[in-house]
Amino acid sequence: MLKDETLDARGLMCPMPIVKLSKKIKELPVGKVLELIADDVGSKEDVPAWAKRTGNKLEEMNEEGGAFYFYIRKVQ
Amino acid sequence: MVETKKIAIVVSEGTFDKGMMSMMIANTAASMGMEVHIFHTFFGLNLLKKSKSPKLAGMFRLFTGSFVKKMKKIGVDNYSEQMKMALDLGVNIYACNTTLALLGVKKEDMYDGVKILGAAGFLDIAVDADSTMFIG
Repeated sequence: MLKDETLDARGLMCPMPIVKLSKKIKELPVGKVLELIADDVGSKEDVPAWAKRTGNKLEEMNEEGGAFYFYIRKVQ
Repeated sequence: MVETKKIAIVVSEGTFDKGMMSMMIANTAASMGMEVHIFHTFFGLNLLKKSKSPKLAGMFRLFTGSFVKKMKKIGVDNYSEQMKMALDLGVNIYACNTTLALLGVKKEDMYDGVKILGAAGFLDIAVDADSTMFIG
């Protein structure tokens, strides 16, 4: 998936990936895609929940080599 | 636009675990775009003193340092950093006015940005909240 920016949150546990994701998405212009890489297993549920609550779009999610790759499009 | 959800939290204990719990929930909620209000009452007030870092309860207090180190290793900030982050994210942090008098705590002893509130003021917020939590 095409991405505009990457946030590597590997090594961070809940709630830090979400806190950092929220900060990062604020810096991005609407319509851009952020790639978030996390290895906290909680992020598998946390990131979709965050996207639903903030109104941003989780376009894609993959698991590879023990890490999760999320592609989030900034909607608002 | 997503509807803004409101969370009201009461913290009545001043130990490290209670403080961390409230901060982690608050900072996550604020990061999810929620409006957060935390009311610190009784010993929860000790969590608002900027010169004091909270300890685990009872005999576990001796292990607080190793706990903090372990948390740092997994990327979780310590209590005072989390508190500053919460204030930065716009979390509303309140000190119970009666407890202030009871424990002899002054406004200047507390983190900058902490607001003083009475029970009625907090209840007014809590009845309109989408979720209320009690940590104590």
